[in-house]
Order: sequence, then C-alpha cells, then structure tokens
Amino acid sequence: MTPSSASSPRPGSSTRRDRVVVTGVGVVSPLGHSFPAVADALLAGRSGIRAIDPGPYGRAARQFAAPVECLPDVPASCGIDATALADFDRLARVCLAPAADALADARLTGALRPDGARIGLVLGLGAEHLKAWELDFLGGGTRVLEPRRDPTLVRRLAALLGLDGPAVTVAAACGSSGYALAVARAWLDAGRVDACVAGGCDVLSPTTIAAFYNLRALSRRDDDPARASRPFDRDRDGFVIGEGGAFLVLERARDAASRCVAVRAELAGVGMSSDAVHMVIPNAEATQAARAITAAVADAGVAPDEIDYVNAHAAGTPVGDVAEAAAIRLALGAATDGVPVSSTKGMTGHLVSGAAAFEAVACLVALERQALPPTVNLDHPDEQCRLDHVAHVARPRRVDVAASNSFGFGGSNLCLVFRRAA
Amino acid sequence: MTDRASSAVPPSATCAITAHGMCESRLSTIPALRDGAVPAGAPALPPRFLRHCDEHTVVGLRAVLEAIAATPSVANDLPQHGVIGAPCQAGRLVTARSLIQMRQDGPVAISTHIVPQCSLHSLAGAVSVALGMHGPHLGVGGGPDAFAEGLMTAVSIVHAAGGAASLPAVWIVATEWDEEPSLDAAGQAVNDPVCRGLALLVDASGLGEVTLDVHGPSAALSRPVAARRRSSPLVDVARAVSSCRTGGSSVTCHISAPWPLEVTIAHRTPASQSTPRWEAA
Repeated sequence: MTPSSASSPRPGSSTRRDRVVVTGVGVVSPLGHSFPAVADALLAGRSGIRAIDPGPYGRAARQFAAPVECLPDVPASCGIDATALADFDRLARVCLAPAADALADARLTGALRPDGARIGLVLGLGAEHLKAWELDFLGGGTRVLEPRRDPTLVRRLAALLGLDGPAVTVAAACGSSGYALAVARAWLDAGRVDACVAGGCDVLSPTTIAAFYNLRALSRRDDDPARASRPFDRDRDGFVIGEGGAFLVLERARDAASRCVAVRAELAGVGMSSDAVHMVIPNAEATQAARAITAAVADAGVAPDEIDYVNAHAAGTPVGDVAEAAAIRLALGAATDGVPVSSTKGMTGHLVSGAAAFEAVACLVALERQALPPTVNLDHPDEQCRLDHVAHVARPRRVDVAASNSFGFGGSNLCLVFRRAA
Repeated sequence: MTDRASSAVPPSATCAITAHGMCESRLSTIPALRDGAVPAGAPALPPRFLRHCDEHTVVGLRAVLEAIAATPSVANDLPQHGVIGAPCQAGRLVTARSLIQMRQDGPVAISTHIVPQCSLHSLAGAVSVALGMHGPHLGVGGGPDAFAEGLMTAVSIVHAAGGAASLPAVWIVATEWDEEPSLDAAGQAVNDPVCRGLALLVDASGLGEVTLDVHGPSAALSRPVAARRRSSPLVDVARAVSSCRTGGSSVTCHISAPWPLEVTIAHRTPASQSTPRWEAA
C-alpha cells in the first residue's frame, strides 16, 4: 500500500480519498461456477430451477429449487491441501470455492500476493449455525444439544485461504452478502485492510425450505419448475429457493493500478436503511427502501438518469415486488421510465444469503457484456409493478452504471451501485 | 498495495460512547423479561413483541432499553440510529427444539419464526423494529469472537458515514452466555446459565465524556494471549465505561479475536477534547 493511499476519509468529510474497485470474482450458482458461464447463462435467459428430491424431510411431495449440482474445485493456485477440507461440510465447501476463485482472479494467490498484504474476509451468511446444527442433527449428531463453541466458518475459511487480515461474518437476512461488500468497502476506506474478499453463499436445507414453505413465501407452482419463479408477473405466487452465491475481491483503485491487475468495475455507491416495521411480514411501504437507493445513487455521485440498469431484488412475492417497484419509482423519480430493470431470480431462484453478491455479479455481467439479463417468465407484467422491464430476453445496451437492490427479513434495505471500469 | 503493505502504525478510530447499558439474566428468568415491561424512562415495546424472540434478542434489547433509560436524551435520535447485533451462537435452544420436533412430526412442525428470529441478523433486526431505527441493521460475528467483530464493524460503518445526519450513531449490542446451555434429548436446558447483553451507542465525533478507541488489526499489536480469559470482555468494557463516566482513568482491553485488536475506553475532560482522531495505516 502506498503512503498516499493509506489515508482515509476524516469523519464529517464526504470526499472519498480513493475509489474502491472490484479486481476478482468467484461464483458458484445453479447457472454455473465461473464468470463467463454465468454471464452466458444469464444473457441466454437459462433457468437453473428444477425438481429436486424432497428427501425424508421434504415439505411437499413434489419439490423444486435451484440447486448447485456439482461443486467446483478450488483453484490449484490457492495451494489448499485436500485433507484440510475433511471437516468442511457442504456449506463450507460452497463458500470456499468462489472465495478462492475470487482471490485467484485478483491475482492474490501464492507468489502473486504482495508480501505482508492485509487481506480481509467478510462473509455474508445469515444462518451459519442453524445450518451446521441441522446438518449434524439430521446426520445423527448431537452438536445442537452440547454446550460447545466451535470456530466460525469465516475463521476456517480465512485460515485455509491464508488471509491475515480481519475476518468477520455479517448477516442482514437476504441482503447478507451485499452487506459484506458494504462492510469491506468501509474497511478499505478506514485503512483496516489492503484488499478484502467479500460476499457470501447459501445452501438448501430442509429446515429453511420448510420454514419458508410454512410461511407461504415459496411458490407452489410445482407443475413446471422452470416457470415457477415469476418476478413482477401478475401471476407470481412466491419465490423459488436456490443455493450458491459469489465473492468479490475489493481493493483501492490505486493499489489495483500499482499491481497492474485488471479492474472489473468500481463499487461506487452504497446505500443502507431499515424499515423498522416488522420482523417477518414484508413492508408494503416504499419510503425506506427508496431511501437506500437514493443514498447509493448519491454516494456514487451519479444522477438517477445516469443509471443504465437496476438489478432488482424482486423475488416473486406478491407484496415485495410491488413495494420494490414503488421504491425504484420513488428514488429515481422522473428518470424511472428510462431505466431498465430486471430480476435474475426468475433464472436462479432466491439464493438467500448469497443472493446479493450473486446479483452484484449480474451487474458486472451487464457492465462487461454491455447487455442486460432478462426477467424470465414475465408474461403478464403486474400493473402495480410498472417499470421498464427487460422481459424474456437480454437487451443490448450501453451500460456504464448499474445498481443492485437487496432487501431482507426485518426490513433490511441495501443498494449497491457499480460503475464500469475506465 | 506493494510488498510489505502493512504499516507499523495500526489503524485506529475514535468514537464517543454516548450511552451504555447492560443486562444479565439467568435462562430461568428470561421468560419474565418477555412480558414487555421496560425500565422507567425507556420507550414502550410493541405488544407481544418478544413472544417469538430468541433469548439473546430478549437480553440484548433489554440492554439497549437500560441504556436509553440511563441516558434518555438519546431517545430523540433513535429513528436515525443504526444497529450492529453481535450475539454468540444465538438461536440454539429454539433450533434444538425445532429439529427434535421435525424428527417427530415432519417439516410441518418447523416454525415460520425460526429463520427471522433465530438467525444472526435477528438481534439487530429486533432492536431496529422495536425502537423504530431506520439506520442500517446487521448481525455480526455469531461465534466466540462476536464482540470484537461487532466493534470493528460498527466503528467502520459509523466512520464511513462520516457523522452524516442520516447515520449519526450506531448501537453495538453484544450478547453471550456465561456458559452455553446444556440440553437434554428433549431440547430442555439442564443448567441455568446467565445470558449477558451489553449495549453501547457510539458516534463518529470522538467528542464526548467517554470515548472508545478501536485499534487494529495490525501486526504492530501483539497477538492475543492464547490462554482463555476468566472474565467476560462485555463485563470488562461495561465496567470501564462506567468507571470513565465517573471520571476514572483510561482502560485498555484486549478483546479476543484471531487478529490483534485493542480497545481503549477513556474519560475525556473538556480540555482534552480535540479534533477527532482518525488514523490509518
């Protein structure tokens, strides 16, 4: 880190000292496990949703979801000994591969990593313990009953990846992995790290599926799984749960330039707010969600009509999609009708903790490929969700600025704004 | 980022602690806290708000209410506040009972509350909803190092906001059991441990009677001592804040974390208050 880039904003200052950029991407998803594969699938409108074996604890006789069917290998450049993975459960393995891929993509593995670099890790994951206890219990274990405190997943991941910086887990329900990116950017601003791996992933589990099913949050359209997830459509009836997610490597632009590493995009703006209305029931009122979008756009220093694409959170729930459409309209005002919007959850389902980071990757796809991923299954756009929808097929477009919304249980609102690399 | 990127000078951020509160309750007495009664001077809770909440949430929220009762002036700004909830292994008791029930009765037995009320974000979410806080709320940590992780995240977020009117201050709410509950095969606790919650309200000004310096991580600080501490960092910090409020001298605590982190609680006389310190490596 160069001395001049070491300084950080003083309290009260709104001037950012250095831009924070994305230099690495790793992804594991129902659509593929590499940036090019995911980009191709998103722009082709391909669905990763299919019937799954409900197993002994399946909530419905015919169950469907968006699973990660074949876990990717960890890149050899990370130098991870396979025997070290012996105590890694499925959740840990799903997180490890994209985090390692992101580091490799950012050229921060092995000898390429600058000596003494403080690389942090922020893992966005909402229900780590619940899933670890559940996996163990359903396999015959009794960990959930025992008075033990095991090391958290983020500790084990940081150790395995050889990351010396701080490592924390953050959770904001379905916005968790997006908040991980926001925290990583704050650490970079504060000089607490030189680079940071941030994002998150999630996995399917019987308890989670049952909880969302019992809540009537999941789609029950089991006759045609690939058409079940219908964001913004008038016939939507809930979301389809999925698994996977993504990790990004963030660092200061000056540091990326000094390492001569390719910059994929700038994380230009972050906006966060809370509804403070209810722990479970989605908020139909758009004020606070709009506040998060407005804050992110202002933080990025762009005007609403400079936004070229919004990747909506829209999961396909009756209340949530309408509220988000209203929030976008409230935040972007007169510019709304000129800003294309899509939800990639029609293809991937809802990746829960991993959704926000995956959808940040969808924004990077739009910036890199200069094309917008579509909202599939949007046969009859809901009149209450009136926006410039990118329906059914990808739309070529010049994209310099892309925003991604994420909302979660408890009224957590997040908007991230990405700017195309110069 | 060139070779030898880390500087010898650890990054540091100073915040003012404008309110603090603590709650300790045995597992057996937590049901009494769910009745919704609040300390005198604290805001009322929505009806039956705590009915489905995890024990960590009940105790953590009570710590926030104690802090507000002790410093009522902070209640005026609650709508602008953010919340960092840092529980250690929250939700285990409810999860255990749910899993046992699911094995008996199938997935229909899984409560719709388990994800929203027993996840890492639940404590922060409940504080935000109960007290109408519209700043960001997020759960941090979840394991044995939750307090350190929460402290570092909170000061980073509040400083990133730069004291903006939209986020003038953030609550750090950390919770832990003094010893983890032991559960029998039916999921019932066979011991009666104490659940402890500490709430600190911090702002980025660094100007105030009591300040919090979060120093690190950096190789310049020594690694934490491997031997386990007998006292709780939540208790240590609460005592230090109380002491400084009454004019006591500064206290430096080394908070348990795999990366070196130092926390200094200081009493500032008006004469010693100066420009907020904001250093970075």
